[in-house]
Amino acid sequence: MKRKGAFLLLMMTMMFLLTSCWSKKELTDLAIVAAMGIDRTGDGRYHITLQIINPGNVAGGLQGGGGGTQSPPVTIYSASGDNLVEASRRASRSISRRLYYAHTNLVVVGEKLAREEGINTLMDAFDRDPEFRTTATMVIAKHSTAADLVKTLTPVDKIPANKVLKTLEFTQRKWGENVKTSLQEVMQSLESPGRGTVVSGFRLVGNPQQAQRLDNLQESAPEATIQASGIAVLKQGKLVDWLYGKPARGTVWLLDKIQGTDININWEGKKEVIAYQTVRQKTSVSAQVKNGQPHISVHARVEGDIAEMEVPVDITDPKVITKIEQSVRKEIKKELKASIERAQKNKTDILGFGEVVHRSRPNQFKKLKSEWNDVYFPKLNVDITVEAYVRRAGLRNKSFLSGIKEKQK
Amino acid sequence: MEKAKISASQLFILMVLFELGSALLVPLAIDANQDAWLAILLGMVFSFVLLLVYHRLYLYYPDLLLTEYMQKILGKVMGTVLAFVYILYFMYDASRVLRDFGEMLLAFAYPDTPLFIANALLMLVIIYTIRKGIEVIARSGELLFIFMYVLAVAGFILIVSSGLIEIKNLQPILEEGLFPVLKVVFTQTLYFPFTEVIVFTMILPYLNNPKKAKVTMLCATGLSGINLIITMLINVCVLGVSLTARSQFPLLSTVQTIQVADFLERLDVFFMLALVISIFFKICLLFYVAVVGTANLFKVKSPSRLSYPLGLIILFLSITIASNVQEHIHEGLKVAMVALHIPLLVIIPPLLLLVAFFKNRKEQRE
Repeated sequence: MKRKGAFLLLMMTMMFLLTSCWSKKELTDLAIVAAMGIDRTGDGRYHITLQIINPGNVAGGLQGGGGGTQSPPVTIYSASGDNLVEASRRASRSISRRLYYAHTNLVVVGEKLAREEGINTLMDAFDRDPEFRTTATMVIAKHSTAADLVKTLTPVDKIPANKVLKTLEFTQRKWGENVKTSLQEVMQSLESPGRGTVVSGFRLVGNPQQAQRLDNLQESAPEATIQASGIAVLKQGKLVDWLYGKPARGTVWLLDKIQGTDININWEGKKEVIAYQTVRQKTSVSAQVKNGQPHISVHARVEGDIAEMEVPVDITDPKVITKIEQSVRKEIKKELKASIERAQKNKTDILGFGEVVHRSRPNQFKKLKSEWNDVYFPKLNVDITVEAYVRRAGLRNKSFLSGIKEKQK
Repeated sequence: MEKAKISASQLFILMVLFELGSALLVPLAIDANQDAWLAILLGMVFSFVLLLVYHRLYLYYPDLLLTEYMQKILGKVMGTVLAFVYILYFMYDASRVLRDFGEMLLAFAYPDTPLFIANALLMLVIIYTIRKGIEVIARSGELLFIFMYVLAVAGFILIVSSGLIEIKNLQPILEEGLFPVLKVVFTQTLYFPFTEVIVFTMILPYLNNPKKAKVTMLCATGLSGINLIITMLINVCVLGVSLTARSQFPLLSTVQTIQVADFLERLDVFFMLALVISIFFKICLLFYVAVVGTANLFKVKSPSRLSYPLGLIILFLSITIASNVQEHIHEGLKVAMVALHIPLLVIIPPLLLLVAFFKNRKEQRE
């Protein structure tokens, strides 16, 4: 009986151990950081801007859209420090809760910091911290500080960090001039010998002061918004160039990250009148080394549909389709070539050609490695072959215009 | 030795769990860069030779523990001393694995908890299990083995389906030739985790069907080897070589990158579950072997009584063997290899076999 009593007592004391309250973090004591912006201050220290979610203001579905007295869905805190950890810890002076980084999905780097000092030194803090996820996306704030970008309030998606992420995701799927790069991907390409890095750019359009005010959202066309813009080219971690438009899309294409886009072709003298939307695309790169000179072959394959024809074309004729396919091929080849030339001009191998040589010819690459970016890559011979197929043409065959043309005869 | 019997399939499961143990946790063989998988494969193949040596010794003395037949082979004094050294080795190894466990928990999930608490909680469970004997360990092994494999298969499917595998991270194969790979094989993978199964020379006498011992040992090592190869292949494919090499726990980083359909993400806890299970069995087996070995050496009547004092020793040893993680890993990879693994796992068993061979031939002639 005594034994049983002692056992019972032991079990009851164990209960207190089993609650696992050692370092408990109550949800109401956490400040969930949605995005983090990093800038350089004048005296060379880091300035971080933290976008913290106001849980109450995000959840209220009914009064959504920004009622008159509502407070914003996020609150911004900032702090400076000689390194990121110091800055983050110092920020606690102004925040009533513990900063919680496990849900930080976005890291914004100011253009000035990226250009002058580079992003290499930032990486270790993100990589080492057990709470921070390296699946977070990294963007560079174009023409502005990271702080301004992080402070901007956005319509539709209430949390600005989500707006950035979703914009990148959808534009990559539909237009292909931007690419969503996670911290881990950025780190991998920074580490790879003789490799340049691409990071998507994001831009604040309008007045930064206006962008952080809630009444900015009360207009149907907010004066200040943020949008994906350009791809930053990083050489050894430092920003050297911005790519826009076709070179940007060609770069995404060569990296085999493209998920869908639209290509316009000329028809019978009229410019950009047929829109071809891609559905499936695959780019493969292979390398040879002949007499110590590397040689790269790029092969792109694309399947897609005709989406729009602003000229009377009768595509019921297979020969016409073949002709369209040829024009698409030419158009894509031009784009890929332009982006390769741009990369060569920057002397930065953002396309990973060096890696391809390394993989297929490891011994020869050893000799090329140290001078790859500055000597071998800029004068590299690149063969581009493109296969393009038109698979479908939407719900109609002939163009609407060809119907009109026939009737008027 | 207690009166207990385990079946061949239970032995198989225990061996697989033992070898996966802490090997799943660390960047195994990453010194061979993208050829880590090859280093593991070769380590496994070479370990078969030593496994056959251990098995041959078992055939000579099917009813005796390693620490017992050592005394028969080498004589009372030498054998006793050597048996004692082996018991110390098992305890040291157990405390190393316990430290691995504690460091994993603290680095990743419990930054504010003292190491002692984390280790002590696991040790309490293990002491309890040891008191219940080998049959209970084997049966709980069967149960949790299935659970672990469900986790492993689910994880594998998720990683593949989230499109993280980049086969090209494995190229170029044999960039620096075969030599660096062989170096890793003979300095690392051969001993950890494969020939650590010398522990099972203390468990084989419990086997109810001695004929199956050889097949079971080889198959279990083969299966765990293949599992480790797949794990390292996935790690390198997902993270790339340099990130894998920088990671303390590469598999954790791999699991963290899983993002399927916007909601299946942050699955780290499943990694922890799998690791806690396999580490639990590794410590259990090392500890159990130390307990039966000690009981046998010092003629203690009921071995289970030894579990408290030895458990406390292992617990305190796990705290004191190193003052920080880096020291702990350095000791494991560099010091323990030369001081413990090579003499105790590679040199002494074949010598024992040699002596046993001549001794038995002499006896047969007489």
